[in-house]
Amino acid sequence: MEQLIATTLRTSAPIALVALGGVIAWRAGIFHLGLEGLMVIGAFFAVAGTVATGEVLIGLLAAIVACLIASALFWVVIVPMRANAIIAGLGLSIIGVGATSYLLPVLYGKRGILEVDQGLWRPITGVQAGIAGALSELSVMVWLIPAFVLVVWVLVRRTSWGLRLAAVGEHPFAARSAGVDPARMRLVALLACGVLCALGGAALSLGSIVAFRENMTEGRGYIAFTAVIFGGGGPIGAAVASLFFGFAEAVGIQTQLVARDLPVPSQFILMLPYILTIVAVFISGLAAGGRSRLPGAFGELRDG
Amino acid sequence: MTTEAIPSAAAVPPVGAAAALAVHGLTVRFGDLAAVEDVGIAFAPGRIHAVVGQNGAGKTTFARAVMGLVRPAAGSVELAGRTLPPGDVVAARAAGIDMVHQSFALPPTFTVAEALELFVPAPGPVYRRSTMEARWERVLRDAGIEASPRARIRDLPIETLQALEIVRALAGRPSLLILDEPTAVLPPPAIERLFARLAAIRATGVTILIVLHKVREVLELADTVSVLRHGRLVLPPTPASELTPARLGHLIVGSDATAAAAAVAEADAIEEAVAGAPHHAADAVPVLRVSGASTAAAAAEAPLRDVSLEIRPGEIVGIAAVEGNGQRALVRAVVGLDTLSAGRLEIDGADVTRAETLERRRRGLRAIPFDRNSEGVSATSSLWENVTIGELLRPAPGRRFVTPGRLRARATEALDAWNVRYGSVDQRAGELSGGNIQRLIFSRELGADARLVVAAQPTRGLDLAATAFVRETLRDLRDRDAGILLVSSDLDELFECSDRIVVLLGGAVAAEFRSPFSLAAVGAAMVGATEPGR
Repeated sequence: MEQLIATTLRTSAPIALVALGGVIAWRAGIFHLGLEGLMVIGAFFAVAGTVATGEVLIGLLAAIVACLIASALFWVVIVPMRANAIIAGLGLSIIGVGATSYLLPVLYGKRGILEVDQGLWRPITGVQAGIAGALSELSVMVWLIPAFVLVVWVLVRRTSWGLRLAAVGEHPFAARSAGVDPARMRLVALLACGVLCALGGAALSLGSIVAFRENMTEGRGYIAFTAVIFGGGGPIGAAVASLFFGFAEAVGIQTQLVARDLPVPSQFILMLPYILTIVAVFISGLAAGGRSRLPGAFGELRDG
Repeated sequence: MTTEAIPSAAAVPPVGAAAALAVHGLTVRFGDLAAVEDVGIAFAPGRIHAVVGQNGAGKTTFARAVMGLVRPAAGSVELAGRTLPPGDVVAARAAGIDMVHQSFALPPTFTVAEALELFVPAPGPVYRRSTMEARWERVLRDAGIEASPRARIRDLPIETLQALEIVRALAGRPSLLILDEPTAVLPPPAIERLFARLAAIRATGVTILIVLHKVREVLELADTVSVLRHGRLVLPPTPASELTPARLGHLIVGSDATAAAAAVAEADAIEEAVAGAPHHAADAVPVLRVSGASTAAAAAEAPLRDVSLEIRPGEIVGIAAVEGNGQRALVRAVVGLDTLSAGRLEIDGADVTRAETLERRRRGLRAIPFDRNSEGVSATSSLWENVTIGELLRPAPGRRFVTPGRLRARATEALDAWNVRYGSVDQRAGELSGGNIQRLIFSRELGADARLVVAAQPTRGLDLAATAFVRETLRDLRDRDAGILLVSSDLDELFECSDRIVVLLGGAVAAEFRSPFSLAAVGAAMVGATEPGR
C-alpha cells in the first residue's frame, strides 16, 4: 500500500509538470503535441548538465535553457511561418527523442544509458520503514507539485494575464481588440510551457532513477497532453488527471510484482494502465455529455 | 433614372480644427486589393455620423483602420487634432476611440465579468472573482442591462451581447464610439431600442461613427451620411436631411443599373405591397406539410415544438425568427439532417418522415443552406464536382462509371446558364466570391425538377445586385409552381418575397401573417410581445 502511494506520486509528478505546461499552451489555443519532445530534451540536459558540472542546479538550468530554445523554435515555425501546429509538434517530439538518443553516444560514448551520481534533493531521509520509508525516495519536485498547481491556477484563473491568454486561445480578434498581440502572447505561453516541460523532464531523470535512458519518456509527454484534455484545460483538472495516470501506471507496476505467480499472461498485466485510462476517459466523456471543451478558435492560430 | 452629379472625394467640408476625427489619405491594401483608397474625411464632434456602402465597399476596413486594428498602407488618423500611431489599438483606445464589432469581441466561454475585464487597459495583476463581479454588476445596472456578471457569454441572447459590447466600449470613456453594422444582428424592436440608446450616448457628447448599409436606417438615425464605393469616398459627410432614399441608393451602388434599382426598391420596400397576387391554388396538395413536428433538444438553439405548417405549390412561405428560435432545426428537419422525435413530414403528399435526404431530394427537395461556404459547397473541390455532386452520388440509370469529361461539360453548361463568373471548371469552389458561390449552388439546386426549395438566408452577405438576382430567382420558381420555404433574418426580404410569414418563437409557431405585412406586428410576435396574430 505504501509502495503504491509512493509509486503513484513518483510517476505522476513529471506528467503533472508537463501537463501544467500543456495547460498554458492549450489556453493560448495551441495544440501542443511537442510536449513529449520537450520533456525528453529536459530529461537529457538535466542529466548532461549535472554530469558536466557536478551541480544539480546547473543541470536544471541547462534543461530549462534547452527547452526554452526548442520552444522558441517551435513558435517560429508555427506562428510566424504558419506551419501546422500538430505536425510541427509531432516533429518536435520525434526530433527530441531522436536527437537525445543521438547525442548520448556522440557526447559520452555510451549506448542506451547515461548515469549520474547525484539527483534532486530528497526531503525525507534516514527512514527505512513504513510510509515514511516509502516516501523517502520522492524528490523535492514531487513535494512542490501542489505549489506549481497553485501558481499556474492563479496565473490562468485569477490574473488579467490569464484572461488575455484565454482570449488569445478562444477569440483572437477579441484579444486584438483589447490591445493584446496574439503572436507575442503565444510566444510567452510557449516559453512558460517550455520551462515546466524542462522541470518535468528533470523530475523524471533526476528524481528517483537518476540517469538518462534513451527514449526515457516513453510517451509520458503524450500522456500529459491527454491529461490536459482530460482535465478540461484547467490546471487542477490536469493535475488530478496526471495523478490518475500515475496511479494507473503504479497499479501496473505493483500488480506485476504481486501477480508474478498468477496464471495471467504478463502482457495483460502490462495492459492494465492503458485499459484503466481508456475507461476513465470514456467515463469523463460521458460525464461531459458529449460537449466539447475546446476553445472556439482552437488550433487555428488566427489573428482575428 | 439619370445618374446624379457626385461630389468630389476631395471636397471635405470645413470641419477644421474642431473635428472629432480627421482622416487623411487613408489607404488599406490586402495583397493587391485596395480595400480603402485615399480616403480623406473629417467628422464634427457630438454627432452621429453614418458611413454607408455596399458589401465590399470598405466600410468595415475603414472603421478598423481608424481603430488601429488594421495597419494602413498610407495615410493618417487624427483624433481631436492629435495624430495616432498607425495600426496601434492600444494607442487608439488610450486616445479615446472604441469600437462595437458586428460579430462581437466577446469570447463565448468567458463570463460577462471576465469578458468586460479583458478590455480594462491597466488592470491590477491578480483579481478576486467576487470584487470583479460586484464592480461590473454596478456598471451593468447603471446601463440598464439585465445580465448577471456570472452568466456565460455563449448563453446570452444577441441583443444583450450587443448591449454588453456597447458597455464594454464605453467603459473606457471614449470620445469616439465606432459601431460596425450594429443593426444586422437585431430584430426590429431591438433596433428601435439601439437607436434610442445611441441618441442617449450622443447626448453625453460622444461622437458616434456608425457603419450601416440599409438606407432606411441610415436616414432615420444619422446626423450626417458619408458614402464609400469600391473603397473610395464618393460622398463626404452630408446632413441626412439633404438626402433622399433614391439619391442615397444611387450613390451607394453607382452606375450598376440592376443594383441601383434594387437599392431604390430596398429604400421603400417597407411600404410596398407584394407585387402580383400569389397564384397558388388553395386546394392543391401541399408541396410540404409539416404536422406536429418536434425535434430532440440541441445545444445551440431551441428544438422544434409541435410545429405544423404547409406550403402549397406556387407559394413562398417566409420564416421569421430571432436567431436561435428554431429556424435552423426546422431547416435541418425538412432537409433530413435531423429526424423528428414526433410528428410527420410530407412532400407532395408522400410521407418522408423517416426518409433519408437522398430520397427526399429524389422527390424534388432542394436546399440552399445557411452557410454556403461550409454547407453549400466543398470549398476544396473543383467547380465541376460541386455542380454534379448529385450525379456523382447517384449515377443516372445505366451509367455505372463516372465520366469526368461529360460531367465537366454539364457543369460548364450549368454555370454559364447561371452567369457564374469563373476561370475554369477545375478551379476550387473556395476561390469564387460569395455571390458566385451562391449562383453555383443555385445552378445545382434550382433545376426544372425542383419542387420544394428550402432557402436559408439566401442573400446574407451578398451585394445589392446579387441580392436582386436571388429574389428574382425565387419568384421565378414560385411562378413555376414550386413551393419555397424562405428563412431569413432580413425582415425586408421576407416582406418583399413571402406570400405568408410564419413566426417561430422558442421552436414553436408563434404567429402567422399574410401580406401585406406589418413590421410592428411581425416584430412583436418574434420577441413574444403579442398574442398570436391572424
